Amino acid sequence: MERDTQKAAGEGEDYHLTEIRPDWLKIITIAASLVLTGFIVALLLLVVSHPAPEAVLASLMSEEIQFAITLSLITSIVSTLLCILVAVPAAYALARYRFFGKNVVNMVLDMPLALPPLVAGVGLLLLFGTTPFGQALADIGLVFVFTPLGIIAAQFFVNLPFMLRIMRSTFESISPRYEYVAKTLGCSDFQAIWRVTLPMAANGLLAGSVITWSKGIGEFGAALLVAGATRMQTETLPISLFLNMSCGKLELAISAATILIVISVVSLYIFERYGGAARF
Amino acid sequence: MLRIENVSKDLGEFTLKNVSLDVKDGEYMVIIGPTGAGKTILLETVAGVYPPDSGKVLLLGNDITHKPPKDRNITMVYQDYMLFPHLTVGENIAFGLKNRKVPKDEKETKVHEVAELFGIDHLLHRYPDTLSGGEQQRAAISRAIILNPTVLLLDEPLSALDGQTREKLRKELKRLHTIFGTTIIHITHNFEEVFSLADRVAVMNKGEIVQIGEPDDIFRRPESEFIAQFVGVENLFRGACRKQGDGSYIDVKGLHIVSSTCVSGESVYASVRPEDILISREPLDASARNSFQGMIAEIVDNGMFVRLSVDAGIPFVVVLTRQGYEAMNLSEGDSVYLTFKACSVHVF
Repeated sequence: MERDTQKAAGEGEDYHLTEIRPDWLKIITIAASLVLTGFIVALLLLVVSHPAPEAVLASLMSEEIQFAITLSLITSIVSTLLCILVAVPAAYALARYRFFGKNVVNMVLDMPLALPPLVAGVGLLLLFGTTPFGQALADIGLVFVFTPLGIIAAQFFVNLPFMLRIMRSTFESISPRYEYVAKTLGCSDFQAIWRVTLPMAANGLLAGSVITWSKGIGEFGAALLVAGATRMQTETLPISLFLNMSCGKLELAISAATILIVISVVSLYIFERYGGAARF
Repeated sequence: MLRIENVSKDLGEFTLKNVSLDVKDGEYMVIIGPTGAGKTILLETVAGVYPPDSGKVLLLGNDITHKPPKDRNITMVYQDYMLFPHLTVGENIAFGLKNRKVPKDEKETKVHEVAELFGIDHLLHRYPDTLSGGEQQRAAISRAIILNPTVLLLDEPLSALDGQTREKLRKELKRLHTIFGTTIIHITHNFEEVFSLADRVAVMNKGEIVQIGEPDDIFRRPESEFIAQFVGVENLFRGACRKQGDGSYIDVKGLHIVSSTCVSGESVYASVRPEDILISREPLDASARNSFQGMIAEIVDNGMFVRLSVDAGIPFVVVLTRQGYEAMNLSEGDSVYLTFKACSVHVF
């Protein structure tokens, strides 16, 4: 009888132990992710909620912020279109063909990702400011140094790898056999791409464009070096944030920051929603 | 009609080595071979997806080696359908007609005609990813056949389908071949497809065509050990061929298998089909030249048929019908006699 009770108690203890043994690995790693999430949300909320909402609204309507919004939209849209124009064919080649030096090309094309934007800016400044090529462009009216054109060039150069990588992974995920079938059904090489591969890549193209565009809107370092930070001239949203922050006009700075946050959130959502096989 | 002459192609992973193949007008040619044998590249080279490194492809007497695929009138169907996901089934089927600038009404009539033939008429407005595998493959075949191609290429068209659908679609392919009379080249791993569809079979291995013939030829008289093993020939033996009077025999580990077609040579392969071997408890007094005593090592009941493994010094496999097996009342360990004719022995 005594033994029986002992045994039962022992069993109960075992049962107890296995049931509540805490999974520390799970707890610690999940906690880490939660802390990080909380940190990011807190930062964003801090920016958005710092000044009074009326002040931010008023700043949003101010001539300066309106100018920054317009300039940012124009430059980022133009640079995104240029990125599409160059990255789509290049990504197609990298996804479909084997050619001599392909690995080197892949690496070099990814280079701007790792390069600090300021360094890219210096390079662009030297290209447009000191070389015969830059001179020739200036002679036909394309002046890049300290102009909005310089902003476009900076955004294009720094963001090209995003578009390229996303389109490359998109094309890689589409079997070339779709094109083969299209060709046996009467398409030329270009028609097969136009009628089959590109429509199938539409989601990747959308995701890539949105990310490239949103990165373009936020581009600061390279644009600062090439185009400078001149109020009401080369004042994009990030430049406006920088200028107003440094001279204490907090409301203007915060309005610019708020717009940038909204754009980031929306583009991230679109990317996750439509990205599909596309990866950085 | 379609003539492939000494075509070679190196794609790194897969290669074609000096492949020649003649396909007759209206013929149903089936190509079999293990994975990586180069079957798909052969089809893609015929379709014109890439030019061969050397050799020629002739269609109806014209050299089409360097013609782009769109000008060949050869269409292709892959195992995984390759229906364009951004187009409806109807638009997929009409894809080729649109390229040929066929007028709208004519296009629609034709699409309906072909779709009706394959019983997918009610699916034309749907997108491919909402269809079952069998329906998708019917759509893919419709898309290819609607152009009335000179040659239709099928790359394992039934391999992705479940058993029942596969059988149904196999019958539909047969019907399609009868109705349209299209010349077809069909790749498969499935021997049922070979026997039910093929006029002739080509066996490929390591980028080469190793044997071409009628299905019966390939299965009864494989020309190499590889083909014999690939097509699953039982009772495959290796031995030395020796002359004996006006006949000849093969010495397999001391066992003399008499053959009427022994090729003189140091070492040959011989095969005997399991169903060609008679099994009995007493020696048979018959004209058959080969008779061996052995012991039943294993009995495997396959339902319709019963397979016996008999050890007669070398292992033999014998297949009996269920009735024959039950009538003989055999069990493992029994001593039996195996008898077969010299002409049942295939030597290569």
